[in-house]
Amino acid sequence: MSDPIRSEIDREIADNTILVYGKGTKDAPQCGFTLETIQFFNAFGYPFEVINVLENMPKRAALSEMTDWPTLPKVFIKGQFFGDTDILGPMAHNGELQAVLDDAFAGRNIKPTIQLR
Amino acid sequence: MIDDESMVALIRATIPDAQVQIWDRTGTMDHFDVLIRSSAFAGKSLLDRHRLVEKAVKPARDDGRIHALAIRTDLLES
Repeated sequence: MSDPIRSEIDREIADNTILVYGKGTKDAPQCGFTLETIQFFNAFGYPFEVINVLENMPKRAALSEMTDWPTLPKVFIKGQFFGDTDILGPMAHNGELQAVLDDAFAGRNIKPTIQLR
Repeated sequence: MIDDESMVALIRATIPDAQVQIWDRTGTMDHFDVLIRSSAFAGKSLLDRHRLVEKAVKPARDDGRIHALAIRTDLLES
């Protein structure tokens, strides 16, 4: 655990209930899938953070190794890895994701600003 | 850039019974949607299904033939 990159990742995951590692920022996504993921979570209305790792190859390598997932974006919810919108989309469709998010934010007095129908 | 035949061959090298549908998202043959049906997905979580597909296409990821790939999977009952 003395690896500084891994420590940084662990801290970021612990600090953000919904965390997206992507290419670009929330305001200026630099990849279609990162944009798609931002729009996806905007629709849920829960707070989420995007960390840009586009230029940070060592960190990208560390993230890929720890998740066994080669591509960006990478989404973590309450510390658990959920892949990308290819995974989250079907989970949203069958209601599984709402349960995950409700659980992740339970007792935190954070309510989504937009409710999905 | 990769043509459909090469993509299917690549996927079947790892997932032999894969039935593959490919959509070229941008007309540039490097951004794709794929739908893959296979019995190899039995008992696998969605994450693990996608890991298997990514493993199959890794050579084309690494040399840049595939830039973007959205993956859907479906279990083929054997």
